[in-house]
Amino acid sequence: MFGRLTWDAIPFHEPIPLITSLVVLIAVGAIGFWVWRKGWWPYLWNEYITSTDHKRIGVMYIVLALLMLVRGFADAIMMRAQQSLAIGASQGYLPPEHYNQIFSAHGTIMIFFVAMPFVIGFMNFVVPLQLGVRDVAFPTMNNVSFWLNASGALLVNLSLFLGEFARTGWLAFPPLSEKAFSPGVGVDYYLVALQISGVGTVLTAVNFVTTILKIRAPGMSYLRMPVFCWTALASNLIMLAAFPVLTVALAQLMLDRYLGFHFFTNDGGGNSMLYMNLIWVWGHPEVYILVLPAFGIYSEVAATFSGKPLFGYRSMVFATMVICIVSYCVWLHHFFTMGAGADINAVFGIASMIIGIPTGVKIYNWLFTMYGGRVRFTVPIYYLIGFMLTFVIGGLTGVLLAIPPVDFIVHNSLFLVAHFHQVIIGGVVFALMAGYTYWFPKAFGFTLDERLGKAVFWCWFIGFHLAFMPLYVLGFWGGTRRMQHISDPSWAPWLHVAFLGAVIIGIGIVLTVVQLLYSIKTRDQRRDVTGDPWDGRTLEWLTLSPPPHYNFAVLPDVHGEEAYWTRKQTAIKEERLIDEPNYQPIEMPINTPTGVIVAFFASVCGFAIIWYIWWLAILGLIGAFAIFVWYAWQDEHEHIIPVDEVRKNARERRRIRMEHLHTISQST
Amino acid sequence: MTENEDNLLDVAPGAPHNNILSESVAYIIGLALALILTGVSFWVASTGVLWGPGIATGLVVLAIAQIGIHLVFFLHITSGPDNTNNVLALAFGVLIVFLVMIGTIWIMAHMNANMMPDPALTNLQMQH
Repeated sequence: MFGRLTWDAIPFHEPIPLITSLVVLIAVGAIGFWVWRKGWWPYLWNEYITSTDHKRIGVMYIVLALLMLVRGFADAIMMRAQQSLAIGASQGYLPPEHYNQIFSAHGTIMIFFVAMPFVIGFMNFVVPLQLGVRDVAFPTMNNVSFWLNASGALLVNLSLFLGEFARTGWLAFPPLSEKAFSPGVGVDYYLVALQISGVGTVLTAVNFVTTILKIRAPGMSYLRMPVFCWTALASNLIMLAAFPVLTVALAQLMLDRYLGFHFFTNDGGGNSMLYMNLIWVWGHPEVYILVLPAFGIYSEVAATFSGKPLFGYRSMVFATMVICIVSYCVWLHHFFTMGAGADINAVFGIASMIIGIPTGVKIYNWLFTMYGGRVRFTVPIYYLIGFMLTFVIGGLTGVLLAIPPVDFIVHNSLFLVAHFHQVIIGGVVFALMAGYTYWFPKAFGFTLDERLGKAVFWCWFIGFHLAFMPLYVLGFWGGTRRMQHISDPSWAPWLHVAFLGAVIIGIGIVLTVVQLLYSIKTRDQRRDVTGDPWDGRTLEWLTLSPPPHYNFAVLPDVHGEEAYWTRKQTAIKEERLIDEPNYQPIEMPINTPTGVIVAFFASVCGFAIIWYIWWLAILGLIGAFAIFVWYAWQDEHEHIIPVDEVRKNARERRRIRMEHLHTISQST
Repeated sequence: MTENEDNLLDVAPGAPHNNILSESVAYIIGLALALILTGVSFWVASTGVLWGPGIATGLVVLAIAQIGIHLVFFLHITSGPDNTNNVLALAFGVLIVFLVMIGTIWIMAHMNANMMPDPALTNLQMQH
């Protein structure tokens, strides 16, 4: 009846997961009850959960990412604590089977459920606004994508309460992840969760490629798009091509595990090396899926806070698209040591070094954007400078790793761990924190506290270097990754410093929450009245903060590269706004519960597959299909916003802008 | 032939027609070509009309032609200026599939490069 699901699935004998589970359950219940008592459920349901508004979906993605960041960080600090305790005679506090689950969960969560939703959240929020349009190409599909992603996150976290998570590392390499060596539910949790969230990611890619290629404001030609939109396009093109490879590789592993196939087994003609090959065909482009939008955020930040147009816009676009293609020519550098021979290693090693060139172009572009500009040292600029310092070192250790003979010495070592954390934290996380500070006022109408923001930056910056620089040293000394116990006592000081670094990052995460709460509390003093708090250059600053559901009363006419900046300067020079346009009623997509119901059934189905509850799996599939059919039969997908409402809001915006214009002209 | 009729026929296979009849004709031509190519594939594979070892190559050529027919007649890829996005998307897709497939075959074929050669080959006593 319940397949493999018995009372043994609940970790009664393991105090750490049991207590964590109880605390999380109580916290979730308490928050749900509190929201109910406040009467906020209808608001949440109508404005967020069922919303097809790209801005709301973007916010939900980022909330999901921040929640998962806390979970992923909890894993991280447990690992650092274990490694700084379990030295020599001591065994630490985590048994190996638990420690292995933690490092697997940490990698899986941080990439799939922190970095990905964070980046996709920004693309959702920013891209339509920057393109000067009202929504993405497929608004309902956008909502479905989010909820499928959330469904994957739910399943991964469910493994804490019921059963176990994979002990195979974040990519679940066979033969270890095959049924014979990992008979439990851990790898199945991993596979099913990633398959469900992978569907969501592919749908997102379809949505954004279509949006950017097909839906832009009048006059917004390709070479007038902001760099963030270009990087989003490149990122989504990579997603569209790479994620199906991941789906196939994981599906083959599922066939091995569930139906006794022999794709990657040791016997029956299987070859586990094909799995490494396929997973890295996805895995390397994945790095660029994350880091290209991050580069886009840095470009926006650099131009805005330097008060200058981005240096070398066209070279930036070109570099982005070169990376988009070359990211598909380097995947073998993740398994130089697998034995493909010197010829192949040389080709992929050289390709890996070549991809550093367009990245270098970008670094120079940001430097030259700041050079000669009036740089305002706000939080996003701190992150930009911190990123350039950190990322260049990470890039150089990457070039080092791209030399096959060096890779043979340091592969799978702590040196590698330090390298990829340096490019992902220094490159992606810093950008996400910069973007969070930069676009927060656009989303909620008030800025975040600057002083606490800088404190968060210093925690991340100092904490990162303390946590990972020692790992480079240990890596050179032969420290391998994923060790539950360290036998050499002379490593202890380095591991203690690394633990201290993780604690400082933890303080940064706590301060992020404090910053958010404090900013909400003092929001009346930090209102963004004009909709343009940073003196921005791109179209998202044209509309008010927060923008109306339809973004723009009339789609803006774009002249030149910096659409909003040109328009703003003309207005300041002529001391008047453009003539009031002829307002029209606006057609916008209606809310739909399709996404959340499909994701509910997908979660049920996924859970049933993990635990071999076949009747429930079929029920889940039928449910998901039924809601799809129900949605397809709906006649009404849009509602009309009456012209009076559009005109009223637009006039209010014009009044605010006129006042602002007067203040500017008086001050100069 | 009037000018109107002339325009009616002067449409690229994938482009939208302004007339249901000529649109249907385009689909039927596509279907016929697809069926012919399918038939030829079976015929080539089951008879000796091609040199034995060349059959695989012949089938690949026919398969690529089949892809072309589908793209032009059913997915409406044309070389017209309004179709640039689709052509570019196709080019990107083909490039990535090419890189991944050729790369994978190449890598997997060399997986034993660092292994000891086959003992049968290194055993000098066997090589009379």
